[in-house]
Amino acid sequence: MLGISGLSKSFGGVQALKDVDLEVRSGEVHGLIGPNGAGKSTLIKILSGDIAKDSGEIFLEGAPVVIHRPQDAYRLGFSFIHQELNLIPKFSIIENLTLGQKKASRFGLIDWKAVKRDARGAVERIGLSYPLDTPVAELSVAERWLVSIAHALMRRIKVISMDEPTASLSSEESERLFKVVRELTAEGVSVLYVSHRLDEILSLCDGISVFKDGSCVLTTDRRSATRQSLVEAIVGGKAGEAELRLLDDVDRRPIVLETKDLSKGDRVLNVSLALHAGEVLGLGGLVGSGRTELAGLLFGIDRPDSGRIILDGEEFEPRSPSDAIGRGVGLVPEERRSQGLILKDSVEFNLNLTNLKPLRIRKFLCLLSARASARIARAVVKRLMIKAPSIQSPVVTLSGGNQQKVVIGKWLSRKLKVFILDEPSRGVDVGARAEIHAKIRELAGEGAGIIVISSDNEELPRVCDTVAVMSEGRVVGTLRGAEITKEAILYKSFEHAAP
Amino acid sequence: MLQPGNRKTKRNAALLTVSKFGTIIGMAIMILSFSVAVPAIFPTFRNMVNVANQATLSAIISGGLTVALIIGEMDLSIANVASFAGVLVTGLMVQSRWPVGLAIAAVVAVSAAIGVANGLIITKLKVNSVVATLGTGSIVVGLNYAYAQGVPIASGLPESFKQLAFGKVLGIPDNIAIMIAVLFALWVFINHTEWGVQLRATGGNPAAARLSGIRVDRIKVLGMSIASICASVTGILLASLIGSGTSAAADGYLMPAFAAVFLGSATLRDGDFHIVGTLIGVFFIGVGFNGLAIFGVPTFVQYFFRGGILVLAVGLSSVARSLATK
Repeated sequence: MLGISGLSKSFGGVQALKDVDLEVRSGEVHGLIGPNGAGKSTLIKILSGDIAKDSGEIFLEGAPVVIHRPQDAYRLGFSFIHQELNLIPKFSIIENLTLGQKKASRFGLIDWKAVKRDARGAVERIGLSYPLDTPVAELSVAERWLVSIAHALMRRIKVISMDEPTASLSSEESERLFKVVRELTAEGVSVLYVSHRLDEILSLCDGISVFKDGSCVLTTDRRSATRQSLVEAIVGGKAGEAELRLLDDVDRRPIVLETKDLSKGDRVLNVSLALHAGEVLGLGGLVGSGRTELAGLLFGIDRPDSGRIILDGEEFEPRSPSDAIGRGVGLVPEERRSQGLILKDSVEFNLNLTNLKPLRIRKFLCLLSARASARIARAVVKRLMIKAPSIQSPVVTLSGGNQQKVVIGKWLSRKLKVFILDEPSRGVDVGARAEIHAKIRELAGEGAGIIVISSDNEELPRVCDTVAVMSEGRVVGTLRGAEITKEAILYKSFEHAAP
Repeated sequence: MLQPGNRKTKRNAALLTVSKFGTIIGMAIMILSFSVAVPAIFPTFRNMVNVANQATLSAIISGGLTVALIIGEMDLSIANVASFAGVLVTGLMVQSRWPVGLAIAAVVAVSAAIGVANGLIITKLKVNSVVATLGTGSIVVGLNYAYAQGVPIASGLPESFKQLAFGKVLGIPDNIAIMIAVLFALWVFINHTEWGVQLRATGGNPAAARLSGIRVDRIKVLGMSIASICASVTGILLASLIGSGTSAAADGYLMPAFAAVFLGSATLRDGDFHIVGTLIGVFFIGVGFNGLAIFGVPTFVQYFFRGGILVLAVGLSSVARSLATK
């Protein structure tokens, strides 16, 4: 049905796809797996016409096809369901199903009765039992997936791609989805199925392609694939070969932060961790494994459903970020532009935002000293080597790396016990990245406990003393010292993915 | 070699300069042309004092509105609060025989409470500020009529209250002195205090402000109450100036206030609301109204001027902002 040969794509200097070949038969579910950034999304985006390929060919039913724009893919019979579903929650099922399609009309008005009749086929195929007038907002995530599939089925499709459909589904809901997927294939539709869950891939997919660093490193099928062989392909070589080295004195240091059976919804489940003074603790795992949510609990953004947090030997129940900051916890959020910075304001303004009290002219007067503010800002700029025309420059004019340094710098004028950094070097150039890593070690050296969340598995081995790997809300493994390797983190994140 | 992108940035920079000084240039042109057209009336000292007198009331209520807009919220209730303040302060003095100072303090406190209510509705009930203040504004009109049944309270005002608008300190009319004091206090508050920084951060990026430890909800309540307090000061001064508490006296201040603050945001800065800009905006509109009145243009032209200025001001402000971020 679908053939791909020699497909390549590079962004700037980064080779996102290298000479990829792929063969999907009619009526086959083809699983695509691999870590974040391995090239799966790039492949899908080329098929959907969102980005242009550099070289290579795409065949549909044996004939070469050209996909320049999303409309081309649409016309050829491709359908793409992304993880973030393209549904309008306030609209009813039927309105969503017919979104963007010409609807039956009478006297120039939409004839909803006829529209519903036309949609019946698609709805029956996915087995949705709700009245078609139900707003999508009232449906569960699983049912929304079914509606999205039905939307694709409103026209004659040949290939449908699904990006991590089960990421937020329970196991019963997943089963229901699988049933629909199998029925689709029975009708001759081919399915491209992207998932991180190996068990699901092994039970559902006929063909499996493993991606790593832009290449398709393994193509296999259900009969010959095993969990072990897939993990090894993902990781590249046998896992767990890293040489063990003696642990340092981490365990003998005082514990600054401890969580006990911390849970929040289904994103954080019974997490128990200990962070020692001067330790850099990495949280590894895949995007969506609950790490950011855990940080949110520690920083008072969200409150846990159950479990305890102990900070410096005392019970800690932060009700807001300002509570957490008051107790000496700092956070560098994941999205620096939307969460970390007031973009239009100056470097100085941003740097002092977390720590205004010491800038007061007199203790009981809330007038701020402009001189103190500039002095502190200059000191931080110097310490982090932030490159900015002046401390009065708006941060929006700075490069990504320097913006990130400002977000980190916000916390340097304050004494922190626990410092959490979520993706500290994402979108930052190599030089600034190395500087940020050096600063993290330096801060730890001053006695703070540091938590680094990173999806970049080369970053964690470089800066961390300990790495806790999370998967689906749980801590599934802890690595120490020399055990911390890119391969080991990957292995743990995939090995423990729940069935 | 000139790169294509470079030329575009240059054009944007030029446009930005025009918009930054446009209001001031426009005001200069207006003053010049009015002076040439009606030299006997417009450029006289008497008329200047007249313009300043009218601008003071507008400047105080606009200063408060500036604070609301800085935190990223609208306040449509300010003019209603000002009218109510005028009625309540005269009522307390005439009917309840309260001393002047106490009556004024009570009115300011009531207005602050209205502002707190606005803030709580916006932050706790998560009602859009336009809708929230449209609602509270109507409730305030209701309070106004419930208190005075729409009857103006004029006779029996204490002399010292009338002196508020007509007295002089150091040769400057009292209400101008009050305006200068209020705007200076606002300027210091916004630019040089902890709360001011928190106000600006909250308006700039509420998510980042919260993650920096700022209690965004409280700051919004604070901002909304400052807007209401300033509105009440305008209402009290207006009652003193016209010598009565009249139900809808200050209702006409709403639109010019918005026009002034938005004009000001495009003046000198890139679409940022700020007090100095607001003051310039207020005078721009004041001079415009004054000139039109001297010319004796028909009422419909005055409405065109008001509406046109508002749309133009908001347009300038958002163009300035988008140019600055390009």
